[in-house]
Amino acid sequence: MGAPLAALRGAVAELLANPRALGLQAGIMALNDGAWIGFWWVFFQRAGTVRGWDFDAVVLLWSVLTTAAGLVLGVLANARRIGQMVTDGSLDAVLALPVRPLPWLLLRRIDGVFVGDALFGLVLFALAGDPTPARAARFAVGVVAAAAVLTGFLVAVESLVFFSGGGRTGELGFQAIVLLGSYPVDVFPAALRVALHTVVPAAFVAAVPARLVDAPDAGAAAALLTAAGGFAVLGWALFTVGLRRYTSGSAWTRA
Amino acid sequence: MIEVEGLRKTFPARRRGGQQVEAVRDLTFRVGPGERFACIGPNGAGKSTAIKMLTGILHPTAGTARVLALVPWQRRRDLALRIGTLFGQRSQLWSELTPRQGYDLLGAVYGLAPRAVRDRVGELAELLGAAGELDAPVRTLSLGQRMRAELAASLLHEPEVLFLDEPTIGLDLLAKQRFRELLVRVNAERGTTVFLTSHDVADIEHVARRVVVVNHGTLIHDADVAVLRRTLLATKRVEVRFERPPGALDLPGVQAAWRSPTELDLVVDTAARPIRAVLDELLDRGEVADISVVDPPLEQVIAAIYRMPVGP
Repeated sequence: MGAPLAALRGAVAELLANPRALGLQAGIMALNDGAWIGFWWVFFQRAGTVRGWDFDAVVLLWSVLTTAAGLVLGVLANARRIGQMVTDGSLDAVLALPVRPLPWLLLRRIDGVFVGDALFGLVLFALAGDPTPARAARFAVGVVAAAAVLTGFLVAVESLVFFSGGGRTGELGFQAIVLLGSYPVDVFPAALRVALHTVVPAAFVAAVPARLVDAPDAGAAAALLTAAGGFAVLGWALFTVGLRRYTSGSAWTRA
Repeated sequence: MIEVEGLRKTFPARRRGGQQVEAVRDLTFRVGPGERFACIGPNGAGKSTAIKMLTGILHPTAGTARVLALVPWQRRRDLALRIGTLFGQRSQLWSELTPRQGYDLLGAVYGLAPRAVRDRVGELAELLGAAGELDAPVRTLSLGQRMRAELAASLLHEPEVLFLDEPTIGLDLLAKQRFRELLVRVNAERGTTVFLTSHDVADIEHVARRVVVVNHGTLIHDADVAVLRRTLLATKRVEVRFERPPGALDLPGVQAAWRSPTELDLVVDTAARPIRAVLDELLDRGEVADISVVDPPLEQVIAAIYRMPVGP
């Protein structure tokens, strides 16, 4: 068993150490997601379609988003805590081990709340996503690619703290990508749509993979996979370069 | 085993226009195999920064270091397989799991076979007296128990050097004493080199044989603990008890305080008056029932070092 597997095994064992809390947290998050689906149902009952998006398309978008975000924020929970770990010096414990730090810390902790998201997304797709084998395969690939984009983006924005010494860029990035990803991308103005495919790649975390489930498109698929690879590399590079500037926390407060 | 040459670490200013923090300045020293070595200094002296560079956690601004012939920040993972680390406020274990479960996972990280981990945990539990704590979740352990469990985790892979950064911080007096005894025992029975940082003088007094004192990022003293006590402060405390009240004593340059008509405490500045002259005077003037010459408390020694001017 390698180090990443040991980290994951530890995280799963910790998660299951308190199954009641896990069930409660996951259940509440699933209810929260269900309320959003209710909102969109009411909305589309009145609006019909918005720029080509109808209720079924938004359900698919939500199933991709909640599954991908649930996997990243739940299973790779430390992706959004890197900045905090850098500023408070918690990375010391990781760097003292004979492990590659990024995979270890990403797999070291599972957040049960967001596991509810992932389960909700999978159930939603199974119930309302017309899960034929072909669609299920495209859904699975799309979710993995979306998760890679989200992980890379979160690691990148969180790693900025290595260079800034503080601030909440990671939290702001997280809020932005999840909030913007939960809406059909075409409702936004053109300039913002460009931003959602580049700077804050929310479109690749939900809308693009959701569309690919309904309508396979080689260009969109290539763009999604490129974004997945690109953001994964960006996150890895910023973390790796930033690690050389790690100050173990205390120095920043003394400066 | 550990060679440090001109090691320096400067942290950037947090605010634009702020001052850089020079946490470590031109640190140079060597530590041999099997030594019990301590780096002591007040909060902010740079000792934690130094230990983090020696374990590969931080990259230095300048200078070189080799630990077990490896440059720590270039070969961090290779070095981590051969050293143990224990940071007083950082946990290697999983809080919701038991120490035993944590050791199994760490054993996998260090590439140990499950059977080897089981055997090693058994040995360590005996060595550290921690057998009763192996199967309770870490979060339910007292701080002293947890530190013992953490020490076992850091010894799991039989490291050649054990780095400890403020390991007794937050422990009560009894737990501190127990922990210090464990470190001495690990060194004695395993030959593990112990490198300790602390601002608790008692850690040094009870664990280390050699100490470097760091202040403002600079090494200001390097000596055996015993030598440090004997030489740095040129004072001795003499406690004497006479059979009956002695005659008038002629002790210029000596502070004398009578505890009773037959019990006298003296503080002797040995630079001004040799201790032998004081003892001769005491023995000549009265019938001595008991006498002891005591080194000054190490706290006093360290405080004197801190008062020394830093650098040229």
